[in-house]
Amino acid sequence: MNASPSPAATWHFPRPYGLKTVAVAIAAFLLLCFTGQRIEMDRMVAMTGAAALSTVGAAPDSEVAKGIGGLASKLWPPQISERTEVSRIENFDPAKLPLFSYVETVETQVQTLNPETLQMETHVERSEYLVERFGYLRHVFARMIETLEIALWGTILAVLMGFPLALLGARNFMPWRPLRAVAGAVVSLLRSIPEMISALFLVLAYGFGPIAGVLALALHAAGFLGKFYAEDMENADPRPQEALIAIGATQLKLLRHAILPQVIPQYIAYTLYILDRNMRMATIIGLVGAGGIGQELKGRYDMYDYGHVGTILVTIFLVVLLLDRLSARLRRAAL
Amino acid sequence: MSARGETAIRFDAIHKRYPDGAVALDGLSLTVPRGQFCVILGPSGAGKSTLLRMVNGLAIPSAGYIEVEGERIGPRTLPRLRRRIGMIHQQFNLVPRASVAANVIAGALPAVSMLRALTGLFPAELRARACALIADVGLEETHLRRRADALSGGQQQRVGIARAFMLDPAIILADEPVASLDPRTSRDILTLIAREARSRGSTVLCSLHQIDLARAFADRIVALSAGRIIFDGPPEALDRAAIANIYGEIGEPGPVAIPERMAAAG
Repeated sequence: MNASPSPAATWHFPRPYGLKTVAVAIAAFLLLCFTGQRIEMDRMVAMTGAAALSTVGAAPDSEVAKGIGGLASKLWPPQISERTEVSRIENFDPAKLPLFSYVETVETQVQTLNPETLQMETHVERSEYLVERFGYLRHVFARMIETLEIALWGTILAVLMGFPLALLGARNFMPWRPLRAVAGAVVSLLRSIPEMISALFLVLAYGFGPIAGVLALALHAAGFLGKFYAEDMENADPRPQEALIAIGATQLKLLRHAILPQVIPQYIAYTLYILDRNMRMATIIGLVGAGGIGQELKGRYDMYDYGHVGTILVTIFLVVLLLDRLSARLRRAAL
Repeated sequence: MSARGETAIRFDAIHKRYPDGAVALDGLSLTVPRGQFCVILGPSGAGKSTLLRMVNGLAIPSAGYIEVEGERIGPRTLPRLRRRIGMIHQQFNLVPRASVAANVIAGALPAVSMLRALTGLFPAELRARACALIADVGLEETHLRRRADALSGGQQQRVGIARAFMLDPAIILADEPVASLDPRTSRDILTLIAREARSRGSTVLCSLHQIDLARAFADRIVALSAGRIIFDGPPEALDRAAIANIYGEIGEPGPVAIPERMAAAG
């Protein structure tokens, strides 16, 4: 059986990882320790821990727990109704009140100094308020719809800009290298500017409102789509393309009949992803004044109307949740 | 045979050298008369594909020139000449997600206006011709809407043939059209190509690996080895010695060719 030693006796089984891997891992760990300390990760852990302990009663009250508790109590209950002083409404007709609303009369005792008698006089001042029970909720919904419209148009413009950029940037469509390089640079530039930043400047150019928001979303997404559309075009099966080149079909015909049929499902998936992303981004670019619900949120937050802020946050949360489900389903259907 | 009007394709002293230094064709001259079914035989790497692809400008000779229907191939003549040359590919080269109908009618793309091509609204005459061709190659109306990648290999090649004949080409290039098909289907496909070509008087230049099929379908067999013609003649002239010469000389195992021939004979 053991007539001669197996030649494998002198073999070396390869190590799972070498010295270099270990060195890199140690270096990475040290780097993480360094930046973690700079960014106060240790303090974060300590504060969170204290908050967790204080909520279960095992520690004296913590700053974090107090902060969160205070905020939550201010945001709740969310503001649903809207109150407007009747005297401020033009052509107010008490016989024709909007749906779900009533008029509230508030009497306040006002003390004034009578300049003739030099006596303090008390008299009652009545003011009427129109209370719309779901008024604020309706307003938030309207802003939410505006937000979704911003996202939709941001996506449409992104496709309109991204597709030509992809054509100019795809190797199998644009043989001329300098133009391809320019298209690639434009795409990279667009992608490198976050929506919030471009919105900040677009608001200066176009003023407050949805136009700035639509453009900010469209510019960033056009960069994304330009890159991914072009990549798919380049990765399309070259054999059908060759078949059409062989019989003398020109570039555009080739694009329409050999490339697009292959990439369309993927294009739809990318576009739906962008729509989904734009819906979420549209809610926050309003923070810099670019229209939509974010603008409302910023305004109310700055006025300490935390009840209103609560309503907005709950609405955003529900809508994003809903859209997430919807877009996942759409994307599955497209592929 | 030598009159200009009778010549479909003429290769004149063609050299092809790839950038890596490999020589695909080495001073090859060949004249193919109109209406001939000419089979190119030869081991892998002998230059069969390169030869075929030069006819419609997919490959460009390093030296020498090619005439198609009496016109020399060049950047100016190529767009016009390509319309007259159909091509059948080894991997079928269909658009996988597109329907059979869309794949076949794409064969008429060079002949339609850009507007029609972009909208995909082909004239009724071309649609009727596509239907007729799809029926000719043995497919049914139910296949029209079927995705090309849902078909079997043989059916896909039938679609490829229908596409190649859309513009009534004067020349058909078939680049190993049956290399990925089983023997029975191979025979059916070649029968189909020969039939369609004959009915239109088209010239066929077809590269093959199978000697028995070459014998059965060719009017003329041209064998290449290392970029040179080492056999040129009618199928009857292709005897045992010639086969050994084709496949033996460049080191391909000779016995591979011999049983194939015996199987064909038996």
